[in-house]
Amino acid sequence: MSALVAHTADVCMVVLFLSAALCLYRLVIGPGAADRAVAADALITIVVGMICVLSVRWNSGLYFDAVWILTLIGFLGSAAIARYLAQGRIF
Amino acid sequence: MESMLAHATDLAIALAMIAGSLLMLVAGIGLVRLPDVYCRMHAAGKACTLGVWLLILAPALHFATTEPFLTVRALAAIVFQALTTPGATYLLAHACYVRGYPVHSGTELDELKDTFPSYPQDRFGQE
Repeated sequence: MSALVAHTADVCMVVLFLSAALCLYRLVIGPGAADRAVAADALITIVVGMICVLSVRWNSGLYFDAVWILTLIGFLGSAAIARYLAQGRIF
Repeated sequence: MESMLAHATDLAIALAMIAGSLLMLVAGIGLVRLPDVYCRMHAAGKACTLGVWLLILAPALHFATTEPFLTVRALAAIVFQALTTPGATYLLAHACYVRGYPVHSGTELDELKDTFPSYPQDRFGQE
C-alpha cells in the first residue's frame, strides 16, 4: 500500500469522526423520536464507512463482513422504528 | 506499465475516500443545521447513501488484485445499500407524517395535507 493511500485514510478517519460527532449531537438533542432514529441511521452508515476506510488502512479484509451486518441491522432498526411510530406496534 | 496502473488505482482509492468522507461530513452538518425532521432526513438519506457507496468502492478497488472475492462482496454491499437506505428513509418519513411531526413554516408544497388530516387518531383508536 502506498503512502498516499495511508495518509488519505488517516485524514478521512478524522473527517468521519467529525461527522459522527455531529450525528451524536443530533442523537442527544433531537426533539422527537424520529430525529433520533434518523441520526442513528446516519451514524450506522458512518460506522460502515469507517470500517471500509480502516480495512484499506490496515490492508486486511477481515472486518468486511461487519459492513453487511451493520447495513442489515440499520435497515431493520429503521423499519421497526418507523412501523412502531406509524402503527403503535411492530408486529 | 504495471506500476502506472497501481499508481492510478491508488489515486482512485484516495479520491473515492476523500469524496465519501466529505459527503458524510455534509450529511452530519445537514443533520445538525436543518430545521425540521423531513429536511434532516433529506440530508441523511441522500448524502449518506452516496458517501457510503464511494467509501465501499475504496476497498473494492484496493483488494481487486489480491482478494477478488472481497471485491465482489463490496460491490454486492453497494447494491444492498442502494436497496435498503432509501426504503428505510421513506418508511421513516411516512411514519413521521402520519404521526403529525411538525413541518417547517418555510415549506412551500405539502401535497399530503388533504390526504392525512385525521389519519393518526383513527389508526391509534383501532389498536
